[in-house]
Amino acid sequence: MQLNPSEISDLIKKKIENFDLSTQVHTEGTVVSVTDGIVRIHGLSQAMQGEMLEFPDHTFGMALNLERDSVGAVILGAYQHISEGDTVRCTGKILEVPVGEALLGRVVDALGNPIDGKGPINCVETSPIEKIAPGVIARQSVDQPVQLGLKSIDSMIPVGRGQRELIIGDRQTGKTAIAVDAIINQKGTGIKCIYVAIGQKRSSVANVVRKLEEHDALAHTIIVVASASESAALQFIAPYTGCTMGEFFRDQGEDALIIYDDLTKQAWAYRQVSLLLRRPPGREAYPGDVFYLHSRLLERASRINAKEVEKLTNGRVTGKTGSLTALPIIETQGGDVSAFVPTNVISITDGQIFLESNLFNSGIRPAVNAGLSVSRVGGAAQTKIIKKLGGGTRLDLAQYRELAAFAQFASDLDESTRKQIERGQRVTELMKQKQYSPMSVAQMGVSLFAANEGFLDNIEVNKVLDFEAALLSYFKSEHTELMDSINATGDFNNEIGSSIRSGIETFVKTHSW
Amino acid sequence: MNEIATLARPYAVAVFKRAKETNSSKKWSKNLSFLAAVLNDNAIFGMIDDPKVGRARLLTLLLDICADQLDQEGSNLLKLLIENNRLNLIPFIVELFETYKAEDEGFIDIDVTTAYAFTKESKQHFNEVLEKNFGKKVNMKVVVDSSLIGGVLVRAGDQVIDGSIRGQLQQLAQRL
Repeated sequence: MQLNPSEISDLIKKKIENFDLSTQVHTEGTVVSVTDGIVRIHGLSQAMQGEMLEFPDHTFGMALNLERDSVGAVILGAYQHISEGDTVRCTGKILEVPVGEALLGRVVDALGNPIDGKGPINCVETSPIEKIAPGVIARQSVDQPVQLGLKSIDSMIPVGRGQRELIIGDRQTGKTAIAVDAIINQKGTGIKCIYVAIGQKRSSVANVVRKLEEHDALAHTIIVVASASESAALQFIAPYTGCTMGEFFRDQGEDALIIYDDLTKQAWAYRQVSLLLRRPPGREAYPGDVFYLHSRLLERASRINAKEVEKLTNGRVTGKTGSLTALPIIETQGGDVSAFVPTNVISITDGQIFLESNLFNSGIRPAVNAGLSVSRVGGAAQTKIIKKLGGGTRLDLAQYRELAAFAQFASDLDESTRKQIERGQRVTELMKQKQYSPMSVAQMGVSLFAANEGFLDNIEVNKVLDFEAALLSYFKSEHTELMDSINATGDFNNEIGSSIRSGIETFVKTHSW
Repeated sequence: MNEIATLARPYAVAVFKRAKETNSSKKWSKNLSFLAAVLNDNAIFGMIDDPKVGRARLLTLLLDICADQLDQEGSNLLKLLIENNRLNLIPFIVELFETYKAEDEGFIDIDVTTAYAFTKESKQHFNEVLEKNFGKKVNMKVVVDSSLIGGVLVRAGDQVIDGSIRGQLQQLAQRL
C-alpha cells in the first residue's frame, strides 16, 4: 500500500481536533507480584470480575480473582516487561473483540488482531467476549440442516442449524478432517464458518488454512488461533472470542458454524490459570467451574427466532432467524470417554460423533462409530430424502454389527443371515469417503438409494466405491436436472424414487466400473 | 503483603471497636503509634524473631519501655500480640486502625500533586471542591511536581482523578 504523507497528517489532525480533553477518573492499583503470567494487584477495590485491566506499555490483563486485599489477574500476551510496583488501571470494560464481515477470510489471534500479514482489519463494531446465552423466549427449535457433506454423518448423525454436536475421539482419528470438510461444504450455502484453533501447532493451523484456501473455502471463514506457544490465558479465551464473532452473524439473522478445535486443550489452559491463581483443585486437578467453562460457551450456540433478530438489528432485518451451530472437538486419551472433560461436554452437547482409532486403522474413514454416535435434535432438521433413505443405512449397520460378532463362531449361516452380513459389509464400505470431497444431498441420495434397494448386493465389496463413483458421474452427466431439483428442494417422493431407480438400472446394464 | 493485611484486619477491627466503645480513639491512636515507633527501632525489631529472646523476656522488655506510654488495654494488646507471635503486624494494624478512624470521623486522606504551588485562596477553594465531590472532610496533602506540565492529579485511596496536561498528552498519544 502506498502511504500518502498528507493523508496521514490530515488523519492525525482530525484526531487531534476531535480529541476530547476530559479529566480522567479511574482506579489504580499496584502490582505486588508477577508469576507465570499471573499478577497480584494491591488496590483496585472497584475492579469487576472479568474486567479488562491496563498495564504499562499497552498490555492488557483480565481480572479473574477478586479477593479481600488483592486482585488476581492474568496478562493477555507477553508479561516479561511487567514488574513489581507497576501501576494498573481499571478500564471499566469487559474484554471486547472486533466483530463483523471484515473478519471473513482472515486469521486472527485470540484478541482479534490479524496475524496473517494481510494488513489491518476494518471492523466498526466490537463486542464483549463473555455474554449470556439467548433466553428461552428468544429461541426457535432446530429444523434446518447443516450439511457436513459426509455420507456417514449426514445420513446417520444429522446436524441442524443451532445444534451443538460434539466430535470426539483419540488423537489421529480424523476429528479435524471432519471439521475441515464441514467448512468446505458450506461454500455457497451462506453459512459463515469460524474455526478456533486452541493449543495447536502453528504448522497444523497453517495446513488447515492452506487446505481451505485450496478449496476456495477461506472466503467464508474466520480462523481464530491461540497456538501452543501463546499464553494459557489466550488459549482460555480464544473459544469465547470465536463465539462472539459467530454470534454477530447469528444476531444479524444469518447462519454460522463454529468449530472449537479442541476444548480439551482449553480446559488444560484454564486448569493452568486456575491453579496459578491458587483456586482449589478438584477432580483431575481441574477447578470446580470447569463444567461452567464449557456449558456457558456451548449454550451460546443456538437458533434465535425472527422476532429476536428484528429486535437485535433494530428492525433492519425482518423475517429471518439466526443460528450458530457449534462443533466442539474433544480429544480422548486411549478411547476413555468417561474422563472428566469428555463426560462433561458429552452431557452439554446435543449429541456426539464418536471416532475410533481401530476403525480408522482398518481403513474406515471417516472412522465414525455408528453405534455410539447420536444426534439428539438433528433428526428434525434432516432433508426429506436423506431422512427417508438414511434410516435404512443405520438399521443395516446396526444389524450387521450384531451379526458380525456372532457370525465369527458359526460355520454355516442361514440364507437371510448371510445376506444381512453381506449387505452390512457393503454399506460399511459405502460409508467410506475421501477427505476434501464433500457430497451434495442428491449425490448422497443416489448412493443411499442404491444401497437400500439392494443394487450393491451383487457387487464385490472392494468394488463398491468404484461403483459409486461411476454411478455418480453417470447421474451427473445424464440426469443433471433430477440432481439439481433434489439439491434445490431435498424432497423425496415416489416419482423421484422411480426416476432414480430407472437411472441406476440403465447404468448397471450399460456401464462398467 | 496481602496476607499480612488479612491477618492484621481482625486486630485492627477489634481495637477500633473497643476504642469506640470506650470513646478513647485518640488515646488508642497514641498507644498504637508509640508501639509502631518502638518496633521501628532496629534493635527491638531484631529481637522479635530472635530465638534466644524468649516471649516472657520480650514482654517484660517491651512493657518496661512502654510503661509510661501504654495504658492497661494497650499493654493487654501487646501481651496478646506477643502470645500469638504477631508482633510484626503492628504497623499494619496502625494503618488499618487509622483508616477506620478516618472513615468513622468522615475524613478522607487525599494526595494532590500539582504542577504549580497553590496560593492560599486557591488551596482553600480546591479543598471545598474536593469536600463537595467526596462528601467528606478532606485531609489534603499537596506535592508540587513540575513534570505534570499543568493541572492537578488527585489521588484518594485507589481512585485517581487525572486532570494534568501530562495525563492528557498520554491519552492523546494512545489515541493516535
